[in-house]
Amino acid sequence: MGKGIIAMAEKVLTVCPYCGAGCQFYLVVENGSIVRAEGYAQGRTNQGELCLKGHYGWDFLNDTKRLTPRLKRPLLRRSRDAEFQEVSWYEAINFAATRLQEIKHKYGADSIMLTGSARGPGNEANYVMQKFARAVVGTNNVDHCARV
Amino acid sequence: MNTFVIADPARCIGCRTCEVACVLAHSTGGVAALSAAHFIPRLTVVRTARVSAPVQCHQCEDAPCAAVCSTNAITFTSNSVQVNQERCVGCKSCMIACPYGAMDIVTTERVERTGSGVNERAVRVKKVEAQKCDLCITDPTGPNCIRVCPTKALRVVDQKSADASMRRRKEHAAEESAAMTN
Amino acid sequence: MAGLAATLGNGAMSNSIPEIEDTKCLFVFGYNAADSHPIVARRIVRAREKGAKLIVVDPRMTESARIADLWLPLKNGSNMALVNAFANVLIEEGLCNKDYVANYTEGFDEYYKMVQKYTPEYAEKISGVPAKLIREAMRMYATAGDAFILYGMGVTQFGQAVDVVKGLSGLALLTGNYGRPAVGIGPVRGQNNVQGTCDMGTLPNVFPGYQKVTDPAVRAKFEKAWNVPQLPDQVGRMLTDVVHLTREGKMKAFYIMGEDPVQTDADAASVREALKAMELVIVQDIFMNKTALHADVILPATAWGEHEGVYSAADRGFARFRKAVEPKGDIKTDWEILSMMATAMGYPMKYKNTEEIWTEMIGLCPLYSGATYEKLERLGSVQWPCTTAESTGTPYLYAGNKFDTPSGKGLLFAAEWRPPMEQICKDYPLVLSTVREVGHYSCRTMTGNCAALQTLADEPGYLQIHSSDAARYGIEDEELLWIASRRGRVLTRAQVTDRANAGTVYMTYQWWIGACNELTAENLDPISKTPEYKYCAVKLEPIKDQVWAERYLEEEYSKLRHELSQPVR
Repeated sequence: MGKGIIAMAEKVLTVCPYCGAGCQFYLVVENGSIVRAEGYAQGRTNQGELCLKGHYGWDFLNDTKRLTPRLKRPLLRRSRDAEFQEVSWYEAINFAATRLQEIKHKYGADSIMLTGSARGPGNEANYVMQKFARAVVGTNNVDHCARV
Repeated sequence: MNTFVIADPARCIGCRTCEVACVLAHSTGGVAALSAAHFIPRLTVVRTARVSAPVQCHQCEDAPCAAVCSTNAITFTSNSVQVNQERCVGCKSCMIACPYGAMDIVTTERVERTGSGVNERAVRVKKVEAQKCDLCITDPTGPNCIRVCPTKALRVVDQKSADASMRRRKEHAAEESAAMTN
Repeated sequence: MAGLAATLGNGAMSNSIPEIEDTKCLFVFGYNAADSHPIVARRIVRAREKGAKLIVVDPRMTESARIADLWLPLKNGSNMALVNAFANVLIEEGLCNKDYVANYTEGFDEYYKMVQKYTPEYAEKISGVPAKLIREAMRMYATAGDAFILYGMGVTQFGQAVDVVKGLSGLALLTGNYGRPAVGIGPVRGQNNVQGTCDMGTLPNVFPGYQKVTDPAVRAKFEKAWNVPQLPDQVGRMLTDVVHLTREGKMKAFYIMGEDPVQTDADAASVREALKAMELVIVQDIFMNKTALHADVILPATAWGEHEGVYSAADRGFARFRKAVEPKGDIKTDWEILSMMATAMGYPMKYKNTEEIWTEMIGLCPLYSGATYEKLERLGSVQWPCTTAESTGTPYLYAGNKFDTPSGKGLLFAAEWRPPMEQICKDYPLVLSTVREVGHYSCRTMTGNCAALQTLADEPGYLQIHSSDAARYGIEDEELLWIASRRGRVLTRAQVTDRANAGTVYMTYQWWIGACNELTAENLDPISKTPEYKYCAVKLEPIKDQVWAERYLEEEYSKLRHELSQPVR
């Protein structure tokens, strides 16, 4: 990594998406791609230090396909034996919303379970998820995977 | 005296961040080029039942690796022991001689162009090299393992820091002997 | 969560991560900071260097145990017996703060009655920890002045978890270790935003800000703000109820956002069976994963780095994370997708950005009302409670020793020790405990796609096994072997290490091939409903033909990778 081009790079202050320590650091972005992570000295919990995942845990964003490919378009299958097909957002949302509505009418809102995510989406997304569960679906069946 | 990097096992948490920084410091492809098959850091985190610590070259003053090298590939440069890869023939004597297990014999591969014009072609050239900690000698920021360690378990010991440490110990000893004679 | 919420009134860390290094005594119970939270481990190292005493309770020789003043290697599954014995020592040896107990706690008489029989000698029989060591640990803890308890999944992932958490919080009550800096108790959360997910009310019993769904006044407030005639007034179902409710035909649809229950939940076969039985499975995620293979519709979302928002650190610290790169492909943020779903279902929902959502949220939550985006930007991080415009947040809870319980007092609570539900036997003679991998995270879709992290650790993962057990089975270090429980059998690789205790083997839970949750049992804690990931009975089968095994591993791995990349062309 050429050190001479740091001046051209953009630094974005963020919080680590891995453990709950809340480490703050910069993502250094060059030409629209992340090139490295740099500790943020004023980080309340980490004081500029980062662990293995903080230093080297960002390149999944480059869709490395080392394990699994990124999802890039909505996928739908109308029966479980069928293959997934790429569809438009309109078609995917329409399908999911209609089926959810049907199940709600047929079996009641409490036959539907929803999850928040304790990982990347963030607090706002979780707020909207529980609002969706409670105000739109009409159930308190909303939970996430690590509770204690 | 030679400069070297040493770890404090009371601080090491065995996370291997230093190993990744080391490999990246000695490669050109960045993070994307890393793979398990070619991951040979020049320091190794060792975890025994009771101790965790990275182990690497001590840059010995009377280096056994240099003494046994039949091609004079291992030399003393800038207060450190360095391997001149042009001269290394991969004979493994240094690996056997090193009491710290800090010398690795590594097969490297690079692409070279031969011929010119329509005859130009790329050939893969394999080479066996002796590799060890070079203190990131070409990097002005110093040893990369030290920079990334989250618990600051690694540090450089050079003449200056050794002198300071010795002075502190002597002062401590003087105070202790004063206390004993009081 | 449930444990501390009952005894102290708040389920979060009472004190802050930075305060760890300033305590006089760190008491680490079932928590391997080096592998779960290296940056917390850094504070433990610093605390010790500043002169703090370090006590570690763990069956394994963890990095913290290695540098501890006292290490209590307990038998797996004996937590409650040991915690009761700690209380017994504090009381019988007069080590507790009598004024504090009288003024700020309740329930002492019953508590004492329960722990009376748990003498160190009695607990030694159950836990294997010498009585002398139990006494020494409590003398060190009680006389330190300021003491800080840290616990982790070695406590919470047992069938008896909530009781143990309550018990641990009681040790700090007995010794008056609350309401000031560098004391208290800290559950250190496994995933980056577990705290935030709780804070936002993605829980069946509370709205955002821990406001109960059963409270009519709270419901009225949210009904008005959200413009709905009536919100559900019954506590909802937990994720761990899904398998049995589906079996009973009561659960028909599952909307999964950013989780991979097939990989991360106990008893993977039952989870798959439930997903198959559902009439509708919606998966909203960033990568193809094992759960998405069972979906009807997959909604692609932006990842960390491609969107912005606020996370909550384990110590209640809100901080903003930001967008660094443009998302590739036709993908949307999670909140945009949910808004589209809501609108399609007849509830128009439209937000301009995350700040608008955040502002709506803090307006409904007194606990966070002062934590505006502007303040987060200015201060970098704000720890809730932050209830006013002037407040800069709350590094430690319970100032003035006023607890958030209905009475304002801390509740002393003890329960009888219960052995783990599945016991070892002739056929399954070893205990399996699932643990963390330092370089990988949760279901591995993110870290497994990171070059450095995949390079350091890949399939099938390791089985940590004591040298005496390895010798008995004739298993060499780095050899592949089978491990089986009553529920399944998987391939794994031996890591012979005397940091593991004899009789127990340890696996990390990220792997597809070495998928330990094919083995674990869904024995739930009756209150928290967390499965007993830390204890099930297993047997090992060495493999003679290692060449075959290595080839089999390679083939299975490519097959799985192929299966998961198939839907995304």
